[in-house]
Amino acid sequence: MGTFEPVIVAFVCNWCTYTAADLAGTSRLSYPTNIRLIRVMCTGMVDPQYVIKAFLEGADGVLISGCHPGDCHYINGNYKARRRIKLLKEILPRFGIEKDRLRLTWIGASDGIEFAEIMTRLNDQIIEMGPSQTRLNKAI
Amino acid sequence: MMIKIEQEDNSLTKGLHQFFKRLLEMQEIDALFLPVRLKDSSSIMPSLVTDPAQIENAVPLSPAFPLNSGRMVSRLSYKESGRKTAVLLRSCEIRAFIELIKLKQGSRQELILIGIDCPKALTLSDYTAYMEKDPLEDDAYIQKVFSEKNETLNGFNFSSACNTCENPFPVNTDMNILLHGVDLSNGMMVESGSEAGQKILESLNMQQTSMPEKREEVVTQIKEVNSKANEAMIEDITEKTDSISKLNAFFDRCINCYNCRNMCPVCYCKECVFNTDVFYHQPVQYHQWAEKNGLVKLPTDTVFYHLTRLAHISHACVGCGQCSNACPSDINVFEVFKSVAQTTQVAFEYSPGIDENDPPPLSVFNEREFEDIVGIK
Ligand code: SF4
Ligand code: SF4
Ligand code: SF4
Repeated sequence: MGTFEPVIVAFVCNWCTYTAADLAGTSRLSYPTNIRLIRVMCTGMVDPQYVIKAFLEGADGVLISGCHPGDCHYINGNYKARRRIKLLKEILPRFGIEKDRLRLTWIGASDGIEFAEIMTRLNDQIIEMGPSQTRLNKAI
Repeated sequence: MMIKIEQEDNSLTKGLHQFFKRLLEMQEIDALFLPVRLKDSSSIMPSLVTDPAQIENAVPLSPAFPLNSGRMVSRLSYKESGRKTAVLLRSCEIRAFIELIKLKQGSRQELILIGIDCPKALTLSDYTAYMEKDPLEDDAYIQKVFSEKNETLNGFNFSSACNTCENPFPVNTDMNILLHGVDLSNGMMVESGSEAGQKILESLNMQQTSMPEKREEVVTQIKEVNSKANEAMIEDITEKTDSISKLNAFFDRCINCYNCRNMCPVCYCKECVFNTDVFYHQPVQYHQWAEKNGLVKLPTDTVFYHLTRLAHISHACVGCGQCSNACPSDINVFEVFKSVAQTTQVAFEYSPGIDENDPPPLSVFNEREFEDIVGIK
């Protein structure tokens, strides 16, 4: 059986999760290369269309990760992101993009170890789910 | 308070004309906004009327629904005009307008909102065909639609939005004109819904009456029938679009004209993201898509557009069906939007267009909510 290498797009905020990723790097921790990090200033700026676009062009999973509640550099961007992710988790499954392909986490700036662990878990779980239908049926 | 509008010359329409004339002649009211049959044409368009003599061309109840007037009322009210206007709207138009008030694109300040039991509407294409064939007189239409409650009219289709409408009875208005459950041979009724509405009805000095006994039963029955039709429609459209390949097929004729967005009363942006450079791709981008997949259909970004619009406005969709009417490619946009709207509105416990103090769900948040969607265990 050929191994399935998913494509996972991760929108990570500059202040917390990206910093954690950086820390993981400087601590020489490894995490799956299937995960493509996109640094954004805040999870609150991730418009639903970014997520939709990623899936339609064949992503097997999308992660949004920012600061823990109360720690947002812009005070409440992460709360807004949570509502948008909730919204997308209601819309996308209706068209066959499973809820669990879209994930939201809070990973703080000093959580380098946790970052690497979570990325590994995410990768394993998406591999388990298999390829997204949009891999074959792109909706460009 | 409830008053009676009698027939005039054996005509409900003329009875309504009398009522609107009296409104317009009141000191407090400067203009009326309602559907009017235009001079030298058979088109019925929403119009702002200031001359009482023009009222005789008004068609308050017809199967014509050229656009959701909620948007037009927003144009009349987003700034002060120094005039008081009474506006007559269908339920879905009122709900759309309330959503626009929340977005500061309209105000009730200078308006008297008059709701009316919805007379349903034909799809735009069937309306055109119906008008060419042998349309009913205005009064005959009212008698027919309020007594028979069919899904079609002489073989022409009512909009699926109307057949599946769960809220055809306006709420939160200043007054409502009632026909369902009313013995129309005796005329119609107007119920006040606010203090301002009550004051106006009082000063009209018309005969008072009380809620007909049958009303509640008829209202419940209509809601039930429409609810059932709605469930069936949603089940059907969900089955038709439950994968990305089916969704691709459903929208495959979409030419990205954005008419569905332009006619959607709750698609609110001054500048839509789909009109920006983001979607003006570099030529090389199209080649890359083609090279990757062997082919790329143009225009691109069609399904992307619809999914994005769903994310932007499905919580506010009032189910008016104008998106389907607007589509030159005859795509039933409405059914997809309504089916998703149902889900997103339940998820955020949001009922669009009911209470202007209920904020749009994407404009607010709570610190502790939806915690079950966070984390990767
Ligand atoms: S999406 Fe369609 S049905 Fe919903 S409010 Fe807009 S035009 Fe009306
Ligand atoms: S599609 Fe979105 S961006 Fe465009 S007008 Fe509607 S709400 Fe605004
Ligand atoms: S009106 Fe029809 S063709 Fe135009 S953008 Fe909407 S779905 Fe596409």
